[in-house]
Amino acid sequence: MNAVRLIYFTLIFGYLYLPIIVLIINSFNANRYGLSWDGFTLQWFPAMLANAGLMEAAKNSLAVAFSAATAATLLGALAAIGFRLYRFAGRRILQGTLMTLMMAPDIILAIALLVLFVMLGVSLGFWSLLLAHITFCLPFTTMTIVARLQGFNPFLLDAARDLGASESQVLGRIVLPLLSPALIASWLLAFTLSLDDVIVSSFVTGPSFDVLPLKIFSMVKVGVKPEVNALSTLMVALSLVLVIISQLLLKEKEHGA
Amino acid sequence: MKSRTRTLIIALIGFWLVVFGVLPILLLLFASFLGQDPEAFFELSFSLDAYRQLVDPGYLRVLLRSIWLAVLTTVFCLIIGYPFAWLTARLNRRTRMLVLILLMIPFWTNSLVRTYAIRMVLGTQGLLNTLLLHLGIIDTPIRLLYTDTAVVLGLFYLMLPFMILPLYATMEKFDFRLVEAARDLGAGFPATFRSIVWPLTLPGVLAGCIMVFVPTMGLFYVASLLGGARQLLVGNLIHQQFLNARNWPLGSATSVALIIIMALMLCVYWLFMRNLALRSHQP
Amino acid sequence: MAPKRFLQTICLCTLLCAFPASAAEKVYIYNWTEYIPDTVLRQFTAETGIEVIYTTYDSNETMYAKLKLVDDDGYDLVVPSTYYVNKMGREDMLVALDHELLPHLGDLDPNLMDRPFDPGNVYSIPYMWGSTGIGVNSNEILPETIDSWQDLWKPEFKGRLLLQDDMREVFHMALKIKGYSSNSRDPEQIEQAYQLLRELMPNVLLFNSDSPRLPYLAGEVSIGMIWNGEAWMAQQENPAIVYIYPQEGAAFWVDSFVIPKGARNIENAHAFIDFMLRPEIAKICVEENGYATPVLGAIALLDEEVRSSPVIFPAARIVENGEFQTDVGEALPIYQQYWEKLRTGQ
Repeated sequence: MNAVRLIYFTLIFGYLYLPIIVLIINSFNANRYGLSWDGFTLQWFPAMLANAGLMEAAKNSLAVAFSAATAATLLGALAAIGFRLYRFAGRRILQGTLMTLMMAPDIILAIALLVLFVMLGVSLGFWSLLLAHITFCLPFTTMTIVARLQGFNPFLLDAARDLGASESQVLGRIVLPLLSPALIASWLLAFTLSLDDVIVSSFVTGPSFDVLPLKIFSMVKVGVKPEVNALSTLMVALSLVLVIISQLLLKEKEHGA
Repeated sequence: MKSRTRTLIIALIGFWLVVFGVLPILLLLFASFLGQDPEAFFELSFSLDAYRQLVDPGYLRVLLRSIWLAVLTTVFCLIIGYPFAWLTARLNRRTRMLVLILLMIPFWTNSLVRTYAIRMVLGTQGLLNTLLLHLGIIDTPIRLLYTDTAVVLGLFYLMLPFMILPLYATMEKFDFRLVEAARDLGAGFPATFRSIVWPLTLPGVLAGCIMVFVPTMGLFYVASLLGGARQLLVGNLIHQQFLNARNWPLGSATSVALIIIMALMLCVYWLFMRNLALRSHQP
Repeated sequence: MAPKRFLQTICLCTLLCAFPASAAEKVYIYNWTEYIPDTVLRQFTAETGIEVIYTTYDSNETMYAKLKLVDDDGYDLVVPSTYYVNKMGREDMLVALDHELLPHLGDLDPNLMDRPFDPGNVYSIPYMWGSTGIGVNSNEILPETIDSWQDLWKPEFKGRLLLQDDMREVFHMALKIKGYSSNSRDPEQIEQAYQLLRELMPNVLLFNSDSPRLPYLAGEVSIGMIWNGEAWMAQQENPAIVYIYPQEGAAFWVDSFVIPKGARNIENAHAFIDFMLRPEIAKICVEENGYATPVLGAIALLDEEVRSSPVIFPAARIVENGEFQTDVGEALPIYQQYWEKLRTGQ
């Protein structure tokens, strides 16, 4: 049984990791097309940095991911508070909308927002992309934060209110500090989602604002690009760091509980 | 009790979800009933042309084939993911965390980059062919890239975690003593599986299938990077209609069809879960 | 306290990112994939201080759809094929060029100027011209056995062909085999071509007009359509790639610079066009891209080896045997409708 399990896990993880490993190895391969190993080189990393279009797109992507993650986390925190701590008419409908947004394939949201922007005359660029990214991250950040509020004692808030705290004081002094690990986790999730997104970006951004996934897509459609290999290696490293941070946060939460 | 902060929060959330959630979907529905204009994206007049084109046998066949491809991916993910989740759930706590983290790392890595990485493996001069040639298993490279197989392999690669995680979530709560009890009572593996394991893990199976099937249909970039000459996924069809052929009504109608499929699947899931809840409440 | 510090950092970064550095002079160029060498773009920026924002497309249809989408805050320069210049001019999508701002205009090949698709070059200036023929990897397939478009229909090439993702070029093959003009406006003839192309579809492995040479170089395909420039670039890396002018006639095309309505940096776009018309710049483009240039001064600067290459500069009889793409007017939607069907695999 154990041997079978080991072989099975090895095969699956092999399949999941092999392409990534090939990619990383190729980013240090002197052969342009990665067809054979022609020796170790670091030249593709400076080549990547010298590619102005790629760097511009990377800067744009980071800007959108930072802003979208921050906005989606704040909005998600408010939504989580609204859904968990308040009772109001239309709550279930709004919650249903949020769930539908989460379940719908990205492409539906992408074209629906495109139609919205075109009909309202919003020009496609940073703002349209930001609004779209906030919207598609929102369900995920809300859910992450709602999960944290699950074990929350509402009487605590009533107690604070009875003692004369205003609603904003209740939220600022009690709820937000309690939520901070969840806020960070959801921020990281939203950041990754935004940086990863090809589908929504390819519909709702314009000429003035090229982003990384689209740039990479147009480069790799053509074939193997060593600069893209180098960039991908960096992105894998970045995502490893993000995973480690979020795992540490989880640990911290467990210790706290 | 009704403070201004509270009203503000509810209003903000409500506003956002209505403007960027409900309104766009309604506009999409609206666009699918518009007329077509060769010089613009649509014409502001009522028309059923888009739906007529949607049910044109040729187009419908393409649509069905792409749904079939998503079904294939889902089944493949289920067959591979089910034993994986099962084996994971039976590990001790520490190893289990490790396995889950190893499963999540690719999920945090850019999916476009991973699709591109697969391309390097599957190519005619890619790793797989080189290896097989080297080992003497084949003598001419096998054609993998630009085939439907490559697309399914790529989709499977991207979507597998989304199948395993919901499965694992139900199996984690599964009482493994039930299996031992059944075995003690003389039930063989098939009987135990059919009458105990499968029914009790079915919620996870359904959730996993929805989590894989629905997004899969939209992943047009996987099909464009790994697939061949044909437009393979519904996502490619929609992408083509919106950004190349400029037939927005048809693109919208195709998305409406996709939304209906998704809604049907969620209904099935919801009915099943309600049934389950009702049954478990019976004395 | 760590989480709080973390959040502060994030907020700070967000603020920094949300206000990008002040805008320098820019020009937004939307062009075919790998159609202007990077070195040329860098030199333009170095000389003029104008930053080039460069994005690419792989078909006239995609370019056209994108332009329609970004009406008011759009690209400053695009490079459509002739029949799209005509269509876009007709639809009032283009800015009339200011010839005063293009001092190098006089040096262009008169044969490529003042053509029916844009009389007087009001909207467009030719950038490069070239042909679409057959590419063969001679390590896999004997080039002597291939001499016509018809050869692509051979059953032995099932699932092996590369076709350009270009409607007019694909229809060109079929129309030529049928003996019609590739600029046919006759619905009957177009339908026949479509039927012929349907028979070709089982042979097609992939459509690619981003960079068709790469599948050849990576060994994915060994026969199919290819642009002469791509074949030229492929030969630099693998001399086994051969370019063949089919006997029914190759497709010839011209791509031109145009400035779409909604461009914000019209002067910069003119500066860019004029820069590209300089003989020494046009020379680099020919050498790197392998297409022919209308800049007469550049041809004189080329090495003998490049100038005499039949891939880049075909003999007069080959050009005569082929056919230049021209506008097909009201027949374009007919082509599009059939193309749509072919591409979706119906």
